[in-house]
Amino acid sequence: MAVAAPDRQRYEALRAIEEVARQLVAQIARGEGPYLEVPVRTLANIIWDPQSKLLKLGPRKLRRDFLDAGEARKFMQTVLMMSLLARAIREGDYPTIRDLYYAGKHTIEYTDEYGRARKEETWDVQKESDSVIQDIEVLTGFLREQMGILHDTKGKIVGRLTIRSGADVIDCSRMGDGAYSIPPNPDALEVLEVDAEYVLVIEKDAIFNRLNKERFWEKHRCLIVTGKGQPDRSTRRMVRRLWEELGLPVYVLTDADPYGFYIYSVYRSGSITLGYESERLATTGARFLGLTITDIYDYKIPRNFIIKAKDRDLKRAKELLNYPWFRSSKEWVKQLQLFLEKQEKVEIEALSGYGFKFLTERYIPEKLSTGAWIE
Amino acid sequence: MSEQYRQLSPSEFFYRNREVAGFSNPTRAVYQAVRELVENALDATEMHGILPDIKLELREEGDGSLTLAIEDNGIGIPSSEVPNVFGRVFYGSKYVLRQSRGVFGLGVKMVVLYAQMTTGRPVKVRTATARSKFVYEYEVMIDVEKNIPVIKSLKISRNDSKWHGTRVELSMRGNWVQAKKRVEEYVRRTALIAPYARISLEAPDLVLRFERSVEKLPPAPKVGRPHPKGVDIEMLRMMVERSKRSTPLVEFLVENFDGVGPVTARKFCEWAGLNPEMKLRDLKVSDLELLALKMQEFSGWRRPKASTLSPLGEELLAEGVRAVLNPEFVTAVSRAPSSYGGHPFVVEVALAYGGAIPPAERPLVLRFANRIPLLYDEGVDVSVKVVTEKIDWRTYKVEFPAPLAVVTHVCSTKVPFKGVGKEAVADVPEIESEIEAGVRECARRLRLHLSRLERLLEAKRWRVTVGKYVEDVSRALSYITNYDEEQLRSRLVELIRSRSSRGGR
Repeated sequence: MAVAAPDRQRYEALRAIEEVARQLVAQIARGEGPYLEVPVRTLANIIWDPQSKLLKLGPRKLRRDFLDAGEARKFMQTVLMMSLLARAIREGDYPTIRDLYYAGKHTIEYTDEYGRARKEETWDVQKESDSVIQDIEVLTGFLREQMGILHDTKGKIVGRLTIRSGADVIDCSRMGDGAYSIPPNPDALEVLEVDAEYVLVIEKDAIFNRLNKERFWEKHRCLIVTGKGQPDRSTRRMVRRLWEELGLPVYVLTDADPYGFYIYSVYRSGSITLGYESERLATTGARFLGLTITDIYDYKIPRNFIIKAKDRDLKRAKELLNYPWFRSSKEWVKQLQLFLEKQEKVEIEALSGYGFKFLTERYIPEKLSTGAWIE
Repeated sequence: MSEQYRQLSPSEFFYRNREVAGFSNPTRAVYQAVRELVENALDATEMHGILPDIKLELREEGDGSLTLAIEDNGIGIPSSEVPNVFGRVFYGSKYVLRQSRGVFGLGVKMVVLYAQMTTGRPVKVRTATARSKFVYEYEVMIDVEKNIPVIKSLKISRNDSKWHGTRVELSMRGNWVQAKKRVEEYVRRTALIAPYARISLEAPDLVLRFERSVEKLPPAPKVGRPHPKGVDIEMLRMMVERSKRSTPLVEFLVENFDGVGPVTARKFCEWAGLNPEMKLRDLKVSDLELLALKMQEFSGWRRPKASTLSPLGEELLAEGVRAVLNPEFVTAVSRAPSSYGGHPFVVEVALAYGGAIPPAERPLVLRFANRIPLLYDEGVDVSVKVVTEKIDWRTYKVEFPAPLAVVTHVCSTKVPFKGVGKEAVADVPEIESEIEAGVRECARRLRLHLSRLERLLEAKRWRVTVGKYVEDVSRALSYITNYDEEQLRSRLVELIRSRSSRGGR
């Protein structure tokens, strides 16, 4: 039954696409200019919901009117992508977003207002086709993973976790020095068995590899995950499922700088660009384990390991202070203000100044046992 | 004044001062000769209600001379007058005021003189007046010292075809190769300002033919009296001399000047401190000076009448511009009559845009004065000053390089020319402001036209921008919904068509 569920979702997504298209056809049949109402996906329309602790899409919608010269191209791209998605689902294909880019790319030949023959590509770069996929997600309420659209993934997981993917059963504790690569649609995974007390999400791939090599997850009975920097959707969805379905607490470990802090907030509250899927992706209970700015001083990190903050770090910190999901947390305001005051940052690796095992044998256990995390 | 010159032989005087009349070099001489002859031909026709038909021929002869022939369908010259018209330099002008191209006949005699001086050959004249039973063919030379015509031959033949008009043929030294461009430009511009004329030119490497584009002549100017404000002492003295010596001053003013009634005349005399009943014979030389001065200063005169002027009119001017420049847009303005220093004038302006006009960094300025094209001395002309310095063309949506031509026509009983060449109009404030107002009025209409074009282009651009996606949109929607693709396409096309006919979005 684990396979049937995503397939059913695909057909529901198809029906949603067909419904949007039917409305457009009805407008055309009535002699009206066809238009789509696409929720706006920019910061201006991102709302912080303190109740659910989620970033959500606000009510603002953009009327994408085919007869509006400024919107016509996007309108064409949107319905073109809708037809590509419909075809993939109807024909049982699982294209990547790059496949969709190529499948829809062709040259439009036309005569311009001066009578000259001109050419135009349906889309020039993948950014354009990716952007309309996101529009279709918000239009239909179905995520591309639910439509069976694949993408590059970079998330990895290791630990005592057994899952079924398709016809295969995978034991995530038997990956050697490697790790299980989180697939594009983690919803298609069925968790068979888990033996862990928490999930440790690590910003950096190198640190993840070191912890894996030390078999940290075995010694500390946890699952370790990395999204290699800014996490993709499937990594975030995976973490969310582990937290929500298995009830595992989630701890996030990043560098002590505004970029690390923002990565944590993406796991926890969602991102601005994907505000519309926070409800599915965000792990609202995620805790920030470290490194904090105060750690720099509490752990007396040697001065020569401390990096002077750059202008863009300071700028980023000020932006974070303006985001309501940071501003509403006393502890985060304290951390960011301290950062702005001291103008110093450190990488996780700075802890190695006290020996390579300091992070795994002292820092993490100490933080976990004293509850010194930020929520 | 004229008495003295007659004794010194005016022919000789002009002969020695030929550069003043525009014959300074063999290039300029060709242009000047063409100009004088064409203007005479036009005066012989249009001033008398005849639609002009002018044929101009130029030939380079084996001996290096240039033969110039012109034929018109004008009123012709009475046979007995021919020798004097072509062979005697005299003051043909009377004190009549009306707009004409030049003082009658003076220029043509300079051409004859120049031709005779450079080749030694007589001028050939063939002419017949309306309903004349005969055609007269003369060969005339000028005895320069005595200023008398010498008839070399005279042939009289029956006028069976009822022809009337004049054909003049003469030989002169001239540089046709150098003059060609100017002559071509002169004929072209003459055709522009005289759209009611048929003008043809046959010359080495150059054949021009301008058909008549309108069958209507502008109203001919009336003969008028001088305006008191435009008077000078010399003129006043001659007028006094011509009048009866017992005439009272007030009566003299009323009879001799434009728009002066007894009431105005008395008011003036009172203002000037002159006795209105004073007889002319009692006027001393000093009184004459005072009178002239006061007449110029007095502000109570009526404005000079413009009936002595013959502007082309907006319709004819626009037609001429259209026929010669072949623009996409043309508009013309004939301003209300105005005056400067007692001389009435009318300014006409036409503006042409696009079409066959080549885009340039500056507007092309075509200047005319009393229907004469002005080709030289462009840099100092008041029209050029207005068009290039006073008008900011961006105000009127013109972005250079632009295919823009501005035509200005100043009509006056006395055009204030700059310098002796009579090729540039001086910047008299009254004329300058009329030209500016005319150009601005035309430019406002051009702006409307350009805005309309812009809107049309905008609508077209919109149709293209949206229309190019119809194919993909209908195919995609048809695939998703199974709705007929062809029907979707035609509905969208129709939607775009109906929306753009309402002016787009």
